[in-house]
Amino acid sequence: MHDDLHPSLDQLVAQLAEGDRSVFTAVFRALWTPTLKLCCGMLKNEADAADAAQQAMQKVLERASDYDPQRPALPWALAIAAWECRTILRRRSRRKEVSDEGAPEAALEDASAELEQRLLVQNALVAVGELSESDRETLVATFWDQAGDVGGATLRKRRERAVKRLRDAFRRLYGIG
Amino acid sequence: MASADLPLIERRLRRKYEWARARRAFWGFTPSLLIVAGAALFAKHPSYALIFGAGMFAFGVAALWYGRELRKAVLPGVALGLIPLTLALCANQMQHACMGGACMTVCLPACTIGGFVAGVGIAIVGHRQKQDLGYWLAASTITVLTGAMGCSCVGYAGVVGLVAGFVIGLIPAFGRRLLRRRT
Repeated sequence: MHDDLHPSLDQLVAQLAEGDRSVFTAVFRALWTPTLKLCCGMLKNEADAADAAQQAMQKVLERASDYDPQRPALPWALAIAAWECRTILRRRSRRKEVSDEGAPEAALEDASAELEQRLLVQNALVAVGELSESDRETLVATFWDQAGDVGGATLRKRRERAVKRLRDAFRRLYGIG
Repeated sequence: MASADLPLIERRLRRKYEWARARRAFWGFTPSLLIVAGAALFAKHPSYALIFGAGMFAFGVAALWYGRELRKAVLPGVALGLIPLTLALCANQMQHACMGGACMTVCLPACTIGGFVAGVGIAIVGHRQKQDLGYWLAASTITVLTGAMGCSCVGYAGVVGLVAGFVIGLIPAFGRRLLRRRT
């Protein structure tokens, strides 16, 4: 529940952007766990994930003054964290490239494709998190080919609207359609 | 990640947050140095213009770094401070005006009138945006420091004239505020 006594994360980040230092700890605590979880999921290594989460949190807090209150704070912060993880993964694969000079090129390409795929899934999940409950249900039903109690033109319309909103959310978060 | 490390991480990130705000405030307020340079170029006493300009720049950076209502005071403060500054710099070029047999320097009246107009302006903006005391104090300080860069043309008398005009401009708004509190 979000009210004056229990403000939402969006409100807290907006207050921090305005210079209200009293909410710093609350923002840090609210963002730390999801950021660390995302980094753990992407990097599959606890030490790297902790480093990446710290780097990401540093960037989020350094850019707090740029925060647009019209946008939800959590996807914004997680997008920065995902980008940070991506940078670490790239660096890691480059290092691997140098050390495994004799390794077949195909293996590297596979690793790179898998990495891209994983990042795409993470980004898509963040974008889906931006949608309403009914949009999410429609997309999930489409994915599993379950029409539920509606069908035909109604489902098609709902699906079109949900996909359009997903595309908008993706464009807003990552700048790509 | 051990939970014991979290306070340490939080402290480190807090320092980074403050530095980022300070950097942003500094670079964001850098264009105001053009006003300082212009004032120093055209003022009668460039050293005074530089001293007041440095004060204005430091105060503006501090207000932007602190944020909240002080941050909102910076732009109106500088914009309205330009009124007495421009009037004083123009008065500098005229030196003095003669009426009949008597001549007088036009710098002091220019500063007083400019200060009055700026005071009325700050009062209107503050009243419209329903700002609190922090805004009024910050906006007044920046306005006076900006205007003072040109109003040192007749020494500190010009600055005193600017402050007097500014205070007179603010009085109606303060009076209305006091009356509203009593009722």
